[in-house]
Amino acid sequence: MQNIVLGVIGFDCHSVGNKILDAYFTEAGFKVTNLGVMVSQEEFISAAIETDAKAIMVSSLYGHGEIDCAGLREKCIEKGLEDIVLYVGGNLVVGKTPFAQVEEKFLKMGYNRVFGPDCSLEKVVEMLRNDINSGKQ
Amino acid sequence: MTSDRAICVDIGSTWTKAAVFRLADDRFVAENRAAVATSVDYLPDAFFNAVQQVCPGADWRSLTAATAPCPVYFSSSAKGGLKVAVVGLVPEMSLQIARLAAFSAGARICASYPYRLTRASIAAIESAQPDILLLCGGTDGGNERYVTENAQALAGSDFRGTVIFAGNNAAADRVSDLLAARDLVITANLMPDFGRLNIEPVREAIRSIFLDKIVAGKGLDRLVTAFATQPVPTPLAVLNLVRAIGDHADGWQNFALIDMGGATTDFYSHSDSWYPESGTVMKGIVEPRLKRTVEGDLGMRVSAESTFETGEAYLAAVSDFSTEQLAALSRYTSNLTTNTSHLPANAIERHYDSLLAGACIYHSLMRHAGSIEEVFTTRGPVWAQTGKDLRRINRLVGTGGYLAAMGRNGDPVAIPDRPVQPAEKVALLPQNFVYYADFDYILPLLGNLAEKFPRACALTAVSALRQTQHYEVKEPCQREFNKA
Repeated sequence: MQNIVLGVIGFDCHSVGNKILDAYFTEAGFKVTNLGVMVSQEEFISAAIETDAKAIMVSSLYGHGEIDCAGLREKCIEKGLEDIVLYVGGNLVVGKTPFAQVEEKFLKMGYNRVFGPDCSLEKVVEMLRNDINSGKQ
Repeated sequence: MTSDRAICVDIGSTWTKAAVFRLADDRFVAENRAAVATSVDYLPDAFFNAVQQVCPGADWRSLTAATAPCPVYFSSSAKGGLKVAVVGLVPEMSLQIARLAAFSAGARICASYPYRLTRASIAAIESAQPDILLLCGGTDGGNERYVTENAQALAGSDFRGTVIFAGNNAAADRVSDLLAARDLVITANLMPDFGRLNIEPVREAIRSIFLDKIVAGKGLDRLVTAFATQPVPTPLAVLNLVRAIGDHADGWQNFALIDMGGATTDFYSHSDSWYPESGTVMKGIVEPRLKRTVEGDLGMRVSAESTFETGEAYLAAVSDFSTEQLAALSRYTSNLTTNTSHLPANAIERHYDSLLAGACIYHSLMRHAGSIEEVFTTRGPVWAQTGKDLRRINRLVGTGGYLAAMGRNGDPVAIPDRPVQPAEKVALLPQNFVYYADFDYILPLLGNLAEKFPRACALTAVSALRQTQHYEVKEPCQREFNKA
């Protein structure tokens, strides 16, 4: 079974989507370490190291995603998790920025996949399996 | 028990203490007490002298469990407990849990190492030669790389003690192969899932290694055979008693105990660690209800000098001493560290001792307690907590020779309600509590019986303690707790 780490980053307290993701990924056959809400970058990394996770799934719903998510890839590299898959999703920025721009911004930060608030979890799971198995960065 | 009496002996590094306890109704009564100088080379000599004093009329040296008038229990401090080095993975996760587990087994931690053991760390372990090396890291099915690499590094080292492996169970076979030539004990994982603690198996492993190691030397094997009883490490005896009090004494569900000695200051708490309804968000692990920490740099005699170094800012803040006076205090502590049997000769030295005691209490409490920090979110301010919340502790017990004497003399004990220097984080210290002194210094002896007679020991302990002070913080550090 593959381990993944899940959580809502920063000072964000939105917990409903987090529980849905936990249930869905568990159902899909992953061993989910769910850190819940208000998770710091360091906590994501500690959990990923101890559980030997193949992916970190970051949610952000409150509009501060850009500042909270920046630098996570660099910290992962510093801590020896250079090959880990990073996904991010939610309401990543405030306002009406087109999703393509948001996506580009987060891809540049080192996330492998970026999702908006309305994506198909079935597809996410499929991509996640492929990304983990292909060792894709 | 067949007899209504039991003899308890505590073999310390300086004194061997003994008492006879008689079971009267639901609790014990201490009948006779004795203390003799410990016979360091052959421990049974002092043991028998002490027992002979508290229970004369028989030649104890020729008695056995079958012929003795009552059962005998004993504890041994074994120079402050077994020396343990801890090797974990992430410092605030597996390494922190391993430290909690070792402390709760009555061990003394000489060093802790996160992540990978470097050549320098291996050299440090080789020169310290701890009795036990506790190797852990990785959840079950989680990270295997670090523990196997660390096992490999240990396999090539000159470390001669016992290795306890309590990490990722998926790595157990590999670790066992790598350390096949070593004294190795494998237990269940300390952290089977991320954030979930499982410290009992490690506690048990350390305890049984302790028995094997201390019983082997200094004649204790003779006592074990004669009286058909196993010694308990003294700190574990105290821990067992703390557990018994919290489980069995009415009104003692949230209490703490400080055991201040010449070499170390041990702090115990028996209370919930986190109160979700108080509106705080927990960061890191939720610590266990029963927690022990040991501060090797804080103590009244052997560690007096390091207490001064650690506590300099505290001492300067509470004493209003000038630089010259602080220097005099510093010289006094250096002298104590070499002259450990020194007793204060005058008023100023008595004042020095009480300041040192304050520093030991202050730092051991600060390190045991967690903290909260206010963070601002889009939904308003939130308190983020790390470590253990001691705010609802309503009773605090002081034991150890010095605190027992302070209690008898009616001297007030300085217990902090906030840091001496302003800090960003709020320390989660007890807010409103009664202080009790172990007047007769009876708790460590009574602790010998705590595993077998928890309820009677708990009732005995709380009736032996004397309430000396009531502390109440006028302005609680956080509003939610006004009601608590």
